[in-house]
Amino acid sequence: MYEEENRQPEFLKRPKTNPFRTPDHYFDSLEDRIMGGIEHAGKTKSPSARIIQLLKPALGLAASFTLVYLLVQYPINQFFPKNTNQSVVSAATTLYLNDDSTLNFSFIDENSLVNAIFSDEATNIPEINQDEMLAYLSSGMNDLEIYSEIQN
Amino acid sequence: MTNDQQILDSLKDPSTRELAFRHLISKYKERLYWHIRKIVLNHDDTDDVLQNTFIKIWNGIDSFRAESSLFTWLYRIATNESITFLNQRKRKMMSSLNGENDYLIENLESDAYFDGDAWQMLLQKAIAVLPEKQRLVFNMKYFEEIKYEEMSVILGTSVGALKASYHHAVKKVEEYVKTHETRIEP
Repeated sequence: MYEEENRQPEFLKRPKTNPFRTPDHYFDSLEDRIMGGIEHAGKTKSPSARIIQLLKPALGLAASFTLVYLLVQYPINQFFPKNTNQSVVSAATTLYLNDDSTLNFSFIDENSLVNAIFSDEATNIPEINQDEMLAYLSSGMNDLEIYSEIQN
Repeated sequence: MTNDQQILDSLKDPSTRELAFRHLISKYKERLYWHIRKIVLNHDDTDDVLQNTFIKIWNGIDSFRAESSLFTWLYRIATNESITFLNQRKRKMMSSLNGENDYLIENLESDAYFDGDAWQMLLQKAIAVLPEKQRLVFNMKYFEEIKYEEMSVILGTSVGALKASYHHAVKKVEEYVKTHETRIEP
């Protein structure tokens, strides 16, 4: 068993030979061809790739500024909330809603409730000027029609 | 200019950059060629991959940090380029071929620059049907005699895993050769 594991395979005992070959003088001009290829690859770079190459530093700079801004802005917003009015308003709203939810209608007189409703409606109706009303009614009428309407 | 450090120093200077790169190509072209050839098998494909490898090296030489040796960095790029090339070809040929290694065998049989005898063809076929990682490890160890430590840097795998891969590869090659050898004996 041990011998089986450690015996060297037959093919490894054969001499190593390279069965591959290259075309004649293949390596002679390889440097020139590769340098030519590098030059060609540089020339045939697509315009978009070239634009990206040019914009890369600017984009990198913009990205780092944004990152720094976010890194600074976030802790500032966290520790020093700027919009205090908003928090005051929201606190007041919460208070109002809490109060509203505790309203007990059994303490309110029926008449005073009706009065309160109608008094609100009355205050909501805007007062209309007489001249404006007349101008509105007479629009689209000629002088004769207006005169006959007044006579009637 | 044969020392890697001299080449790297000259590459940093724009006035000597191109000349230094020519030296780099000159020093490593054959080793990289044979490394790629063992992976893709066909000469024409190897030529394409080698060119792409050197273009990648040219474009990325500034990012080389000398954390590993220049040789292992170049080999890593060449290996990645070869694998990428093969994967692209396999995807294109998958519909017309049965297995993913069929492409390699077809490539081997159609290569005009293969001078080996029937036994060598059999050995290359046995290697071609190995799983990708085992094939890489087997070629690098058996033909190129690269040390496991260097191979570990090139392939990004532990030495233990590489030894296991090579052991499995040897077993599989032996089995393939045994099974198919009778067909080539006179």
